[in-house]
Amino acid sequence: MLPITAGIIPFGAVMGSVAADAKISFFNSAAMNLLVFAGAAQLAAVDLMTKNSSSMVVIATALVINLRFLLYSAALSPVVQKSSFLTKLTCSYFLTDQSYAAMSANEDQFRSSAEAIRFYLGSCICTATAWHVSVSAGYAFGNFAPASWSLDYAVPLSFLALVVPTLKNRRYVVVAVFSAITSVLLNGMPSRTGLIVTALLAIGLAAVLTRKSGRHA
Amino acid sequence: MNDHYFWYIVGAMAFGTLAIRGSIIAISSKIKISERTKEIFSFIPAAVLPAIATPAVFFHVGKVEWLFGKERLVVAILALVLSTFFRSMLGTLGFGMVALYLLTST
Repeated sequence: MLPITAGIIPFGAVMGSVAADAKISFFNSAAMNLLVFAGAAQLAAVDLMTKNSSSMVVIATALVINLRFLLYSAALSPVVQKSSFLTKLTCSYFLTDQSYAAMSANEDQFRSSAEAIRFYLGSCICTATAWHVSVSAGYAFGNFAPASWSLDYAVPLSFLALVVPTLKNRRYVVVAVFSAITSVLLNGMPSRTGLIVTALLAIGLAAVLTRKSGRHA
Repeated sequence: MNDHYFWYIVGAMAFGTLAIRGSIIAISSKIKISERTKEIFSFIPAAVLPAIATPAVFFHVGKVEWLFGKERLVVAILALVLSTFFRSMLGTLGFGMVALYLLTST
């Protein structure tokens, strides 16, 4: 569990310092962490909010970033299929890059769904604790970090560190490179809608690439 | 930043995010999700995350000037290489921030 938690700490620290930098109150920042509980989307949303983007653009951007939870939801669904509504809701709320990673790394070791759920919720408690503590620490720290430290750059860097481990073969690299180039070309689109268009085009490309591989397999 | 704006966005994000997280879990007992769909889902991080990170490297603070502040591009490339080999969030972030500080302060 430690390596996963270690990955959250810098991410949380960045989130906290960016929120402090954006002059969001500590209470509002903590409430956002608790209600949304999705670091990458929160980082992008706070960044857009400080630029006074329209609320629809901020919300759409955040949800596009969180589309990856569809993948995790699909991965977790067989485990919780027979559970109560409350368990399903709790497991859904805690779905993150890290809890998914912990679950998929250990999925062969569980003897029953109940055991898998216990392991999953245990890892969720670790990730959530690390998240809230590191965001609070980052918030306190961000208030006095000098501008020369370029804290804003930690946002793209953390996205980079998140995406690299998901590039399992050449097709994933092709989609990622396509996404990077398209996002730069579409950067001039109004209200930062370039991100949404890029994401949809890149997912479309993924659909085409996987169809071809299916035919040859 | 006014409170109404903030809470409206946070409320919608919270609701929308939980809906995405719970979606497949909620419908999986009724509808079978095909392997192909799952495979396409697995491309979502590759499709979305570079689209957020790359413009921030090229268009620093929204300035539409190619390679304005080349330090950021250099750091991004080095961080990419580091991340590929070590896959460490902590290492990539720590290295990137220190490297950018050193490059911009000299």
